[in-house]
Parts: sequence; structure tokens; C-alpha cells
Amino acid sequence: MDFQTAVFYFLSTILVVASLRVITARNPVHAALYLVLSFFTAGGVWMLLRAEFLAIALVLVYVGAVMVLFLFVVMMLDINIERLREGFWANLVPGLIVAGLMLAEMFAVLGAKYFSAGAAPAPEAPAMDYSNTKELGRLIYTEYVYPFELASVILLVAIIAAIALTMRKRKDTKFQEPAKQIAVRREDRVRLVSMPAEKE
Amino acid sequence: MLIEYFPILLFILIGIGFGFVPMIAGKLVGPSKPDPEKLSPYECGFEAFEDTRMKFDVRYYLVAILFILFDLEIAFLFPWAIVLEEIGMFGFVAMMIFLGILVVGFIYEWKKGALDWE
Repeated sequence: MDFQTAVFYFLSTILVVASLRVITARNPVHAALYLVLSFFTAGGVWMLLRAEFLAIALVLVYVGAVMVLFLFVVMMLDINIERLREGFWANLVPGLIVAGLMLAEMFAVLGAKYFSAGAAPAPEAPAMDYSNTKELGRLIYTEYVYPFELASVILLVAIIAAIALTMRKRKDTKFQEPAKQIAVRREDRVRLVSMPAEKE
Repeated sequence: MLIEYFPILLFILIGIGFGFVPMIAGKLVGPSKPDPEKLSPYECGFEAFEDTRMKFDVRYYLVAILFILFDLEIAFLFPWAIVLEEIGMFGFVAMMIFLGILVVGFIYEWKKGALDWE
């Protein structure tokens, strides 16, 4: 067993254990943290497959941004374990149906034809100066430029949807507007009134 | 290629060691004599009336969502930056259109007040 295989088994073991803990951990915060760990090790496994850009993007986007959001959502939830347990049996049947359908779809898509060990041979070692990121860049911005522009439209839709869904103004907060404070002129605040001199 | 990432692997291993060795050492070496009174949150005073966990408004939430979207934009910028010399003007214009569309979203969220901290 060479070094690379050893690293693969090391990362895969952590990945499997962390993913199992995501669904078995009682505390949702712990589950979210195990999800961070599994993203990290998945990034390591992708790195072993020589997908270096994807591996770093996984850490950058998922660990850096998505998991922060997950932790916020977990904080916003009212976590009461007893109350969560109540719905277990009631939700079991729809949950099983959804899980079964997803499993069937996954098998249909990546069944034995694509997913057996022989169907995906290990990528042969590329030249020393080969850069995965460079190859991606060469393709995305020339050959796949249309899907690339579509991606920006999807991101735009996501920005607008996020604002429309989650933004609410609070009426009771007091805050200063520095621009207005600076723009104020003397005439707005002081009124000079000319009066005749008063005598005792 | 993979050899260049060996320092990162080393870093991960040392990080795991730094995290786990003191915890295990503390568990093995330190004395542990648990006692119900010692483990209770307050030795004297009232018991807790209710659960401390409650809903609170994380107002930073919207900023976090918007951060994810612009983080994805950055992920597209990295490969673009390193091949810019090869893809030339076409690639440059493609990225400018991409950024232009996202700037529309940025102006929208700015004008809408989504970035204001009330």
C-alpha cells in the first residue's frame, strides 16, 4: 500500500465517520460541525483525485460560507429535542418515501454502468506543470461561456430572492444617518430674529 | 502535482495532533472525582427556571446569504485570472458581462437597504 492509498483510507475513514455523526448526533450544532469536518475531508479526497480547484472551492464555498449559514439557521431554530422527537413516527412514512425515491433515482443515474470500480479508472498522472485550474479556466471562459453567463443570471436571481424572502425592516430601531448629519446647513438649525433693543 | 499539497497534509496531521493529544492526556493524567453537586450548574441558589435555548434574531443572516453568492463569484474569478493571457479579449469581455450582471444585483441590494445595519 503506497502512501497515497494510505492517505485515501485515512481521509475516507474520517469522512464516513463524520457523515454518520451528521445524522446521528443529537445536538444540531454538533451535526453542523460534523458536516464541516466531512466537507473538509471530502475536499481532501477530491484533491487525491487531482481535482484541485474543486477541492479548494469546496473548502472556500461550503466550509467558508454555507456552513456559517447552517450554523445561523441552527441558532435561529428553537431546538427542543423532546419536541423534535414527537414527530418522529408521524414523519417516518413520508420521510421513508422521499428517501426511497432519492435512492432509486441515484441508482438509476449512477447504476453499475458508471459506478463500478472498473468504470472509473484512476486518472493517470499528468505532466508536472499541468494545472487543473488552468484547464478549467481555458474551458469555462471560451467553450462554455454561455452556461457561465447563465450562472451569473442564476446568482442574480438568488440575490433578489434572498432579499425578497428574508429582509424585513424594523420600525422600532433608531439609527443615525451620517450623510444627513453632514449635509445639514446652518440655516436649517439656527433662525436669526432681529429684535429691537430692549430697555429696562 | 499532489506532492505540492504535502505540506497541507502535514499541517492537517499536526493540527489533529495538537487538538487531540492534550485532550487525551488531560483525560488520562488529570484526576477525576465527579460528584452530583460539583457537576450541577449552581452550587447554591435557584435551579434554572426554564431552558436557556430560545429563538433569537440573527440579523446577520441576510448578509451571510449574500456573502455566499459573492463567494461563488470569487470562485469563478480565480481560474479566470490565471488564464487571462491565453483567453484574451473574449474571456475578458465574458467575465465583464458576468460581473456586470452581478453588479446589477449588488446595486439592487444596496438600494434596497439590505446592507444597512438599521
